[in-house]
Amino acid sequence: MGQRGVGWLLALPGLAVLGGVVGLPLLYALFLSLTGYSFLRPSYDWVGPARYQEAFRDPYFLHALGLTALYVAVTVGLTLVLALVLAVLLQQNLPWKGFHYFVVSLPMLIAPVGVGLIWKMILHPELGILSYLFGKVDFFGDARYALFSLALVDVWQQVSFAALVLLAGLRSLPKEPLEAAYVDGATPWQAFLRVTLPLLRPVLVVLLILQTLAEVRTYDLVYVLTRGGPGSATDLVSYYIYRKAFLGLDLSGASAMGYLLLLLTLALVAAYYRLLTRG
Amino acid sequence: MKRWLVVGLALGLGASLAQGVVLRALMEDVPETRIIEALLPEFERATGIRVEFEKVQYGAMHDKLVAQFLTPENAYDFLQVDFLWAGEFPAAGWLEPLESYVKASGFDLSVYYPSMLDLVGYYQGKLYMIPMYNYAMGLIYRKDLLERKDLKDRFQAQYKRPLALPRTLEEYVELSLFMAKNAGVSGAAMQGQRGDPNFMEFSNYLFAAGGDYVDRNWRVTLNSPQGEKALSLYARNIREAAPKGALNFNLDDTFRVMCQGQAFSMVTYWWMLPQLDDAKQCPKVAGKVALAPMPGGAGVNGGWGWAIPKNSRNKEAAWRFISWVESKEIVKKRALMGHAPTRKDAFQDPEVLRKYPYYRQAEAIIAKAKKVPIFAYTAEMEDVVGREISLAAAGRKAVKQALQDAAKGLEGLLRKAGLLR
Repeated sequence: MGQRGVGWLLALPGLAVLGGVVGLPLLYALFLSLTGYSFLRPSYDWVGPARYQEAFRDPYFLHALGLTALYVAVTVGLTLVLALVLAVLLQQNLPWKGFHYFVVSLPMLIAPVGVGLIWKMILHPELGILSYLFGKVDFFGDARYALFSLALVDVWQQVSFAALVLLAGLRSLPKEPLEAAYVDGATPWQAFLRVTLPLLRPVLVVLLILQTLAEVRTYDLVYVLTRGGPGSATDLVSYYIYRKAFLGLDLSGASAMGYLLLLLTLALVAAYYRLLTRG
Repeated sequence: MKRWLVVGLALGLGASLAQGVVLRALMEDVPETRIIEALLPEFERATGIRVEFEKVQYGAMHDKLVAQFLTPENAYDFLQVDFLWAGEFPAAGWLEPLESYVKASGFDLSVYYPSMLDLVGYYQGKLYMIPMYNYAMGLIYRKDLLERKDLKDRFQAQYKRPLALPRTLEEYVELSLFMAKNAGVSGAAMQGQRGDPNFMEFSNYLFAAGGDYVDRNWRVTLNSPQGEKALSLYARNIREAAPKGALNFNLDDTFRVMCQGQAFSMVTYWWMLPQLDDAKQCPKVAGKVALAPMPGGAGVNGGWGWAIPKNSRNKEAAWRFISWVESKEIVKKRALMGHAPTRKDAFQDPEVLRKYPYYRQAEAIIAKAKKVPIFAYTAEMEDVVGREISLAAAGRKAVKQALQDAAKGLEGLLRKAGLLR
């Protein structure tokens, strides 16, 4: 057996498990999306791409997709910027370093549902501490702010993980290019923009991919905080698909929408990946 | 020798299994479930059947139950069915029809209010459930504010009639707006969160205005002058008299606001009254709250029923449990421990009434309560109609347009369910 063969052999158990728990359900969902299967009529009558066409004609699904795009852009953008600032700060020689690490990693350790419940009380317009201190603001009950309130809660949690990843990235950068830049008379700001950031690009792109995937799937916070309302102001696509399946009992329609979302996400990741490998 | 041992073991195991049937059920994790749990040893002593409850939050129940219905053998031998699922489960063929059990055991159905049997008993003429618990909706209001001298005078001056409990929906919203302006509290603690909360709340307004969702033949009647009146008044009340954030409030939020003494009224489930009237839990309003039917007449009916899944392994034993737990004696015991009854005799029992005098109002609410359409897609109906109510209440869609879209959505669901051609 050659080296290649041994490699495959070693990977086999893992691949088998992945195939079982990821591959098979994916194939089953693809099959379902081409049938008329529902919980009330569990029969696999073939309908071809009809469920996909329906999804494209569903104005509320399209609305949810658009809303999710906006949401992902806002949360991922904010998360990356804030995380970068935090990571740079943490890299300095601050006193109480251990304590700062601990505080920054705290949000990551709380389950999203817990995060939602905590912020729900903090932001409660009548009884919350923020309303008490700064006057009543209707964070989730006003359709104009609801999506951004949701995004802020989300970012609060996500920044923690992103900052730690970026910090690890910063730590592993080679020192020589920076030193050379300083010898050549670069200001710290120039050094950061022209040397550190380009060197950090692979880490940033990986983080971009991870965060985008996490945000596209946002469901728990919507469930806990707004249930998609007011109106349809926070009706993100994952929550929409969940309702299609479990309120509408329409597993095939939900599968079709799930596949559309999967394809869109794949395209996005492919685009990011080119960003990573280019140059 | 070894073989005999195995056979012996198997026999012993078989015997012990037959002797001690264990019934399992999925129950909502609420005080009522713990009340029944406390009585279970009595059932075991009488029948030798052990009952085990798996207790979960309401939100987790539906999906868990559906998953079990789709397996060949249900993990649960009997269940409690929320009225919102009382169309879906029978329509899918997941529940065992109960007529033959009722007949064989001589179980008396006449002790239940017709509105209860209609809600969590029959589905399209067939009996699938036995009423277990009622949570019809009515008006909870602050007696003390209605009796305040300055408010009385000001109301009389403004409306040329005495300050009193409203008799119609218009009067109620008028009073709510008045309280919001003059009493230093919100007029109504409203649960405007999209979905089940705002759908349930709005349905009271709809019924109070004389409207309904469908007629007897499932033709949609929501988009009517009455519907328009109801939605306009609802939107006005939530925008001008409800607490800030009401558009995202659920039941817990409205309870907190009311409990803190920050609202005059709430349209809610009648069992909220003892919660608010509890001096330990809500010292600010205990003794000052009262219950009344929804102004204008009918409020929304709600409730739970007992049922046996078609794929239950122990149907006979499950029926023995249901007929025991719904017997006159046990229902009275449950009632005295704080479990709201559905049997008339428990509501009218002097001992029960002495302990819970407001059951008189509750009985009136239940007897008159109307149900929202119960069919295979009731849960999705709440979502679709709730979305439109929320859009109208938030001022993002005109009342007329929202009603039209809600009616269209409801029609689509009824068609999908095969109730409309």
